[in-house]
Amino acid sequence: MIEVRGLGKSYIGQDGGVVQALQDVDLTVADNEFLTVLGPSGCGKTTLLKAIAGLIPWNEGDIFIDGSPVRGPGPERSMVFQNFALLPWATVLENVAFGLQMRGVGKTERIERARALIETVGLGEFETKRPGELSGGMQQRVGIARALAVQPSVLLMDEPFGAVDEQTRRLLQEELLSIWEEHRLTVVFITHSMEEAVLLGDRVVLMSARPGRISEIVPVPLTRPRSSDVGALERSGKYVEITAYLWDRLRDMHEERRPAKAGR
Amino acid sequence: MTTATTHRRARGAATTRTGPVEARRPCPPRRLLGANLPYQLLTFAVFAVAWEAYATVWGGLLLPTFTETVGATFQLLGTAELWQAMYVSNQALVIGFAIAVVIGVPLGIVLGRFRALERFADVYLNILLVTPMAAIIPLLMMSVGFGLASRVILVAVFSIVMVVVNSRTGVRQVDPSLIEMARSFGATERQIWTRILFPGALPAIMTGIRLGVGRAVTGMVLVELLMVSAALGGLILEYRGLFRAPMLYGTIVIIVAEALLLISLARWGEHRLTRWSKATTARSTR
Repeated sequence: MIEVRGLGKSYIGQDGGVVQALQDVDLTVADNEFLTVLGPSGCGKTTLLKAIAGLIPWNEGDIFIDGSPVRGPGPERSMVFQNFALLPWATVLENVAFGLQMRGVGKTERIERARALIETVGLGEFETKRPGELSGGMQQRVGIARALAVQPSVLLMDEPFGAVDEQTRRLLQEELLSIWEEHRLTVVFITHSMEEAVLLGDRVVLMSARPGRISEIVPVPLTRPRSSDVGALERSGKYVEITAYLWDRLRDMHEERRPAKAGR
Repeated sequence: MTTATTHRRARGAATTRTGPVEARRPCPPRRLLGANLPYQLLTFAVFAVAWEAYATVWGGLLLPTFTETVGATFQLLGTAELWQAMYVSNQALVIGFAIAVVIGVPLGIVLGRFRALERFADVYLNILLVTPMAAIIPLLMMSVGFGLASRVILVAVFSIVMVVVNSRTGVRQVDPSLIEMARSFGATERQIWTRILFPGALPAIMTGIRLGVGRAVTGMVLVELLMVSAALGGLILEYRGLFRAPMLYGTIVIIVAEALLLISLARWGEHRLTRWSKATTARSTR
């Protein structure tokens, strides 16, 4: 279980003023829940994720994972990055095994575990390739395999499919759903796509910008498993209704921030 | 307007064929034109002919013809004197350059990682980069003497700047998200250095080593010319004193050949070690 209590983070912006990146963020993520976080750019959603990951400090509040406070990265959490963050000089196998290597897993075991996950994400024949030889979608499959290889109970995903094309993105979403249905882990998934947030999440956390805070938490009462027939799900009334609602809310946020037109 | 368009289209049709064309490898002459070597050989031939003509017409005591120089070069290669000089000179080169790499690479990585340090170091690096090194030779002589040590130091000082500056650039080019990724998997600071920063900076480090080799050869010859008149530099001075121009030029040819060989070797190593990086050859020197 992830508990975020009264989280606040501010920093000094380029113009010297204080920017409130996060303010009074309270959030509880249940075990094995798939939580998606949606919001306009600059709403602090990535900051929130990095705070949970233990990668950045914050000013107020606390974060607990299964009751113990976050003081840095931990073995129960692993992260998938928007720009993949693969080592360009290392092969697919070495990249997937990287997390295990950092955690001191012996060579034989880490190769074995890495190979199993490379199979899971369907990259078996690309084991010896380097990231530069792979497409964006394949690179992110490596990123996901690397995160899963350390057998986390919490998977933190920072707009993982934001940098791949639409068709690949849909395939990756379905694959992620079936991986999650099989492995059952807690996922916090950042996105800027309403459709993605609804398709994947049990709940959608809607964040607003300046200051970054949680504006609403929208439950997604769609049945699971969803990976088997994504198409039918996307045509269902509930799905359409929730995405439309989320877009209404997001558009309001954008309207508020739009600069007043000159001369009116 | 209309005539211009049709005209252009007609011309285009004449030069490039469209429609179904069978894919094939370029024929041998085409491939030859794509390589660098033919052009290099061509310019060299033009240069050699021009040299020969100029020296034959206007040449004198201090300007041998191209053929005389080539002859002298081969004659030199047969003398024990040259190989003795090569041995002595290269001692300074090897030791000096090794020191430059051993100190320069870690220094560059540290400077690249910690920006605060750079504020202190930047001015000294610039001094190293722009100071005419000949100016410090008398200083070196006074403090260290005429021996191997002063030649080694000069070679090291000459070449270290390229190694440091390029290693520093290399570390800065490492994607910060890789460091974040490593930290998220619990990497220690040491692991970040050995698993992320060093391999990430390696292409630039190798570029620095290649450029450093060139500077090291310059330093090696310069110190012998200006300071100790030993070895290869000594040979140059000796032949100049005796007005044996072909031998003088022959010595220079041999030094240039050695430098080119070392640089090619470094480039080869660079390509082998850093095949993943496509930007290797395009990387700037600073």
